[in-house]
Amino acid sequence: MEFPISMVIVRRVKPLPYWIVPILALVVGLVISMMILYVMSGGQTTPYDVLLSIYYGFTNLGLLAKTFALLVIVGIGLLVSFKGAIWNIGGEGQFYMGVLLAAWVALFTGFAFNELIGKTTMILMALLAGAFWALLAALPRAYLNIDEVPVTLMMNYIAYYIIDYIIMARWRERQYGYYRTETIPETTKFQLIEGTTLSIELLLLMITIFVLVWLMFKYTSLGLRIRVLSSNPNLLRSSGISVHLTILMALTISGMIIGMAGAAYLGSVSHNLSYPIEEKTPGYGYAGILVAWLSMLELIGVPIAAYIIGALHTAGINIQIAGAGGAAVVNVFIGSILLTYAVLITISEYKIRIIVKKR
Amino acid sequence: MLEAIIGLIAGMSSVFLAYYLAALGHAIVEKSGVLNLAIDGVFVLSVAVAYAQAVYTRNNLLISILTAMIVAAIFGMLLAFFVTKFPISHGATGLSMMFLGYGLASLVGLPARNIQGSIEGLEVGYTIDVHSPVWVIVYIAIILIGLGALFLINKTKIGAAIRAAGEDPAAAEALGVNVLMVRLFAGALGFALIGLGGAIFELSYVQVWSEGTGIGHGWLAFAVSLSAGRNPILLILSSSVFAGLVKYMTAIQAMYNIPQDLAKMLPFVAAILAMVIFMATPLRRRLAPPKSLGKIYFREEKERSEKYKKNCFVLDSSFFSEVDLS
Repeated sequence: MEFPISMVIVRRVKPLPYWIVPILALVVGLVISMMILYVMSGGQTTPYDVLLSIYYGFTNLGLLAKTFALLVIVGIGLLVSFKGAIWNIGGEGQFYMGVLLAAWVALFTGFAFNELIGKTTMILMALLAGAFWALLAALPRAYLNIDEVPVTLMMNYIAYYIIDYIIMARWRERQYGYYRTETIPETTKFQLIEGTTLSIELLLLMITIFVLVWLMFKYTSLGLRIRVLSSNPNLLRSSGISVHLTILMALTISGMIIGMAGAAYLGSVSHNLSYPIEEKTPGYGYAGILVAWLSMLELIGVPIAAYIIGALHTAGINIQIAGAGGAAVVNVFIGSILLTYAVLITISEYKIRIIVKKR
Repeated sequence: MLEAIIGLIAGMSSVFLAYYLAALGHAIVEKSGVLNLAIDGVFVLSVAVAYAQAVYTRNNLLISILTAMIVAAIFGMLLAFFVTKFPISHGATGLSMMFLGYGLASLVGLPARNIQGSIEGLEVGYTIDVHSPVWVIVYIAIILIGLGALFLINKTKIGAAIRAAGEDPAAAEALGVNVLMVRLFAGALGFALIGLGGAIFELSYVQVWSEGTGIGHGWLAFAVSLSAGRNPILLILSSSVFAGLVKYMTAIQAMYNIPQDLAKMLPFVAAILAMVIFMATPLRRRLAPPKSLGKIYFREEKERSEKYKKNCFVLDSSFFSEVDLS
């Protein structure tokens, strides 16, 4: 007996324009999430509610601005490693290591006396922290060929628990007894732009990183090596360039950039660390994966993807206030859009035919 | 002394069983060549499903466990179908399923928790009594399951097909193995075991539920499986180590005066170390992963003839290329 429905996948003569798949994935993924939310909430969260909060997310620019800027930085950071086909899923850990060291600078070193020195040191230390955390996963990847995906992922949990420990055992504020650290001094708080949630420093940081990474891929040999790493590591090997070193650099630079996002998050959004960090996190490290993927690994696509994902992030948090349940909605969004994207990427180079046999 | 040791061994039986089943399921999935990064999401989802179903059925364990297994198996078949039928990345597909699993888990669990809160004295789960011989049965079951899985993978026809699909799907297909069907089977069986592991983890170990219960434990099962080279018998050893670590966390913590949060970190550190040890020593060659694990397997198909098409309804996605988009 032959199954009456079959699916045939045939290569296209000409690939589709690259922007079709992300847009299609967004639309289809959102439809899937709406159906999931509708069914799982027993009809309480209607597609209308979801659309309304998505509209709110897309249009409320003041609220969106901080998420947008942070996601651009994290997205660029992940893009650097993704370009080399190094799948850094540890953005969350690198981000929080950056937050941790920035908080240390702001709270416990003398650098906070001066605004400029304090903020610069925060960003530099966060950069080092992110780089270090990424390097820990990069070393086994480069020299022992251990898959970086599970390692970077588990490093996220290790980072969470280290920070939880430090908050509770060492840095806990004594005055009110809350489970959190003291608020960072006024001099180290980033200067908010009137009417938005975005700070000037964050904006500058975002633009600087964007330009630097663009220059790196455009003009430096390192950028070229990272790109070749993904398509043809043997070519690197045969031209005498160390593959190990290229892998190390790709992941470490990635962690560096994400660590800086952590400092910006502490300086302009959270101002302190509260326990337990794994429940308080906005999950930018994970949402950034979606940003990098949806950008089609094009630098110019990152801000566009960050705007869309930032809006959906805001929308998801908005829905959870309406009672559909926790950060769950954001995860449903991320999951269904990513899944649709991962599958639909096929149609950019292949045609899918569903064939139903006539009886 | 002896009694104390037996007490320790008995006490960890439920965690041991949960880890062993999840790691074994993961091993079976990966034997068929499907890189499984969805494990943590599906584990968390089956934890939530088992909990919710136990609340709704007033602690009917059989139905709760079965539901969790079925939900997990559906995810497994989807994953296997996508990565075998389409030329797409195993990693991206698995990770997106992980996020979906996390999200769905919260949506499933939260309403059930509200219901549990509104009913007086409703508790879910079944605690294995260390003084009754139930834990011995659990250990015997683990060994029997291990032997059964070893037999299935190494001695049966379907096992050979699973291994062939993992080593070289193209050659397997040429020899008459239906790779898609084999991977669907391995995906369903493997994920059903992961779901069973999740359900046992929830119902006989955690027994309460809050958002995020079980997160990270799927990754531990992943590491357990990797560090035993996906061998059903060696898995017994490695999962017992991790089960001990997780179960006696509080005791270890008290004994050596380690803060709680650092103790929570231990299994993850151990997992990474296990992977490093596995890959840096000769174990790596002895227990090599399937050759085609995570590789895109895709048979390009030829255009069907016009005559063939006349006998079919063809639903085509090529309208995108017909519309002039530029």
